[in-house]
Amino acid sequence: MSTFDIEFAAVTDIGKIREKNEDSVLISSDLGLGVVADGMGGHSAGEIASNIAVHVLEETIRKVNTGALKMPDTFLPKLDKVERKLLMAANLANAAIYTTAQASAIYKMMGTTLTGVMFDSDNAVAVHVGDSRIYLYRDKKLVQVTTDHSLAMEHVRRGLLTKAEADKSKIQNVLTRAMGIKKNVEFDLLKFPVKIGDIMILCSDGLYKGLTEAQMQQQLEKGSNTPLVKLCKQLVRVSNDNDGQDNISAVMIKILPAQPLTFGQKIKRFFTKS
Amino acid sequence: MSDKDPKESLIGTDISGCEVLQKVAEGGMGAVYRARHKALNRIVCVKILSPALANDKKAVELFLSEARAVAELDHPNIVNVYNVGKERGYYFIVMSFIEGQTLSAMLKRRKVLPVNLVLDLFDGILKGLSVAHEKGIIHRDIKPSNILINEEMHPKIVDFGIAKKVDKDKGTTKTTELAGTAYFIAPEQALGRDLDTRADLYSIGASMYYVLTGQFPYNGKNTIDIIQKHINDPIPDPSKIRKDLPPWLSLAIQKLMSKDPAKRFQTAKETYLFFQKMRAEDQLRLKSGTAGSIIDLETDTSLKIIKDSPLSNTESIKKKRHEALLKDTAKEARQSQPVLLPGLDESPVNKPVQPQAPLPPMPQSAAQAPVPPVPPPPPAQAFVPEPELFIQPEEVFAGNKFSVRQLVELAWLPALMVFSLLTSYVFFLFGKIASVHTSPTLGFAANLLSPITASQSAPNQLAVGGVCLIVLIAVFASSSIRAFSHGTMGLLIIAFISYMAGLFTPQVPYWDIKGIGQFLFSPEYSLCYFVVAGMWALSLCWKAKLSKIEVFLGAALIVLTLVLSYTATGLSIAPNTAGAFTKWTGFLGILFALCAIYHLTQKTSESTIVAPTLCLIAAITCVWFYNTSGLANTMNTTLKVLASKIDAGDSSAKAAQKDLDKLGYVSAFQNQSFASIGSVKEINTLSPEDKYKYLDAQITIFTKDAIPQSYRPLMIEMLSAYYLSGPSRMKLLAWDYALGYPIHNFNQNAQNNNAYYFLLTLLYWFGVLGCAANIVFREEV
Repeated sequence: MSTFDIEFAAVTDIGKIREKNEDSVLISSDLGLGVVADGMGGHSAGEIASNIAVHVLEETIRKVNTGALKMPDTFLPKLDKVERKLLMAANLANAAIYTTAQASAIYKMMGTTLTGVMFDSDNAVAVHVGDSRIYLYRDKKLVQVTTDHSLAMEHVRRGLLTKAEADKSKIQNVLTRAMGIKKNVEFDLLKFPVKIGDIMILCSDGLYKGLTEAQMQQQLEKGSNTPLVKLCKQLVRVSNDNDGQDNISAVMIKILPAQPLTFGQKIKRFFTKS
Repeated sequence: MSDKDPKESLIGTDISGCEVLQKVAEGGMGAVYRARHKALNRIVCVKILSPALANDKKAVELFLSEARAVAELDHPNIVNVYNVGKERGYYFIVMSFIEGQTLSAMLKRRKVLPVNLVLDLFDGILKGLSVAHEKGIIHRDIKPSNILINEEMHPKIVDFGIAKKVDKDKGTTKTTELAGTAYFIAPEQALGRDLDTRADLYSIGASMYYVLTGQFPYNGKNTIDIIQKHINDPIPDPSKIRKDLPPWLSLAIQKLMSKDPAKRFQTAKETYLFFQKMRAEDQLRLKSGTAGSIIDLETDTSLKIIKDSPLSNTESIKKKRHEALLKDTAKEARQSQPVLLPGLDESPVNKPVQPQAPLPPMPQSAAQAPVPPVPPPPPAQAFVPEPELFIQPEEVFAGNKFSVRQLVELAWLPALMVFSLLTSYVFFLFGKIASVHTSPTLGFAANLLSPITASQSAPNQLAVGGVCLIVLIAVFASSSIRAFSHGTMGLLIIAFISYMAGLFTPQVPYWDIKGIGQFLFSPEYSLCYFVVAGMWALSLCWKAKLSKIEVFLGAALIVLTLVLSYTATGLSIAPNTAGAFTKWTGFLGILFALCAIYHLTQKTSESTIVAPTLCLIAAITCVWFYNTSGLANTMNTTLKVLASKIDAGDSSAKAAQKDLDKLGYVSAFQNQSFASIGSVKEINTLSPEDKYKYLDAQITIFTKDAIPQSYRPLMIEMLSAYYLSGPSRMKLLAWDYALGYPIHNFNQNAQNNNAYYFLLTLLYWFGVLGCAANIVFREEV
């Protein structure tokens, strides 16, 4: 029973020098889900890992929604439903990648980041592991919502490096947590209320390496009336022009005021939920 | 390459003239095999790059170039590289095979190694490293397990940066592995800074610490923790663990492990030369027997240890965070000063706030300010909220949330109260207008609808009232579909009850609520309790997510509702348990109630909302039916007997008088026959007044005033229905009357005991308190 409508856009680009695109993006407006995954590992392992991540996540959530898959009641009963759904799907995706990786020498080292957002009636719920990010653009201010799971950020957290140093550091791409590496991975789960007009950007590290927060904010300010898809493409293009050393992916989500319901929807809603 | 099965065993195959014999080790970057060089007939070691990386041009390039560089190093303490290249799709390096064990394996057998052995081994290791460093090659991963000791106890450095260099230089490749090993990693390496050869010296120091004490220099709960301790924690003193360590060695290790590369020994050569010198002095001392007096640590400049961070890990972190905070604050203050404090600098009011006089006035502001006595700019920190290093999104927008939402919530409750009062008064007035048409002989439902069904010929306000009523209800209903809440539903019910209050108790003014205490236990008031309890139970049933307490409350309310429905009927007649139908209906009601309670406890998703609600409604209906069945049955029996008597008397009055007792046994079938053939036509031909008089007279004859006058109209109504449409119609009317009796009773007595107002008050508070509770204990959906 969402009190707002959501517009999604997703763009992924191979970048200037990479031979493969190891990023995967997924948006689903019926599930209210947006995901970015940035795979790693030689051969085509990175592609496969990120692909498994987004698709297992989507499929699991779909199955839970339709009732084909039942969430065990003992699974984190204190969290609310969307949080549990998202976390369970992420855990299943991790297990799927890990099993695939263990089954073959080629894929042994593969892993992926995962950053996904789902919505309930007035909150965004995000699941996050790795160095992909969620930015929230609200009231003309851009804030990074997630914390990177990289060694550099770990140092920043402990006060050993400054944020500026970390952004340039060589160990920025050394991840402290990722999917597929271990049997169990600790996910960050975030929940925050959304407001009409919010724009969320889920992106792989390729995007923010070629685009500082200030530049990103500038782009968003300039493109306040641009269609979301165009804006998304524009961000990726600018980042690619600036850097382009890595695959670049972005999912953009805009919170719009709710459209009036049709009579049929009203009736349906009346009988489904209090 | 990619078409090859990576699992295919290489054993027995031939690579670069070497026959692969056996796998020795396997790592992330590839596998190491023991092989026999056919031409030389010599055992060698073949390292194969992992097939996973074989397609990565950059990785391959670095693998080969690094191997070639190491091949140039011809030193007894570095493993020899014989050949490097690609064959059969595999990238390989052929190296000398060392029979022996690693330094770490040696340590596993003994807890610690003898000091002299360690010094001998590290003399060789440092010599080998020195040669590599001169060629500009940094190992990056010096650790005991990368040092092989052969049978003659000669150390050889292996794994010369091959794998790790790949990781390091690929810069943008994401990985979960940091080059180097957490236990021996140099701080600058852990921080991702540029490395030089001195990073290897740090690892040498850490490795020495490990083999001499049997403990890692830093331990932690995870890799990150250990790495960060290398960066930040004070340098451990090995002599604290191992007492027989020569003091100079302990200090030398600490020097090697300095956080700042500039404070370490600068080259491997300097290190081993120092070790050699000190060992020679030790020898000398041992010979002259004056151990400890020759060496003067104070004068030995090369051994001065400057500990860069004497603070503990957490302390120094706190300090750094504090510094960062101060810096950030100052920065932000500077930026925001002109925005945040326009004119405040000159304001006299602001002066006392300045706590710090010593702050020197800014020369610029002094020069530019129009007013000569310029106060020093206030310390900006006082006005700027402390910025958090890690801002949570919730915190960022907390302010916005409060201003809009909470304000609305605060205003909403009183607004709702006023609105509901006004609405109920309007509806009460509608009810009053409509009450002109109510009549005691009409049924409850007919009375309710009287404004709408009222005669069209009278140009009255009733039709208008009725239309208004419908419109208002429609408006309410449509708005409550959008946001189906207890609030709007409650309002709707309050409006409806108000209308009924106006309709049935027109004599009592709206505000006349008094003396209700004496009626608290009357059936009418029980009906009020019943309505509230039932509504509450229904609202709980119609809720998606229930806590345990709510489930318990819901179950209790369901039971209470059923009990109250019994007391609310206010009947002295017991339910008709003789009839199988009513009896089973009663059981069914209890079953439905149990179903509703079961659904409440099992409620997991939205789909089960309807089920417990329907169950509860069914249960209430069944139990209500059961409770009133006694009255209905009595009425039916009475009427039936009466009708048959009238029929008999009508066809043969004399015979009826004679066989009065017998008539009790006349079967229903015969009654029916009597009715159809006997007197239906005669009675129906009479005018309504005559019919009433006739039936009234008949009742008096047969019952002899057993039925009170007040019930006469009702009885006559039903009897005339019997003669008009047959016994089933009469039965239906009797049931209708019995089912509605409590409400009928309620209506009749409401004028005396203000039951409607009591009900209104109850509902009002139920609704208002419910809304308030909703706001206070709001669950975040």
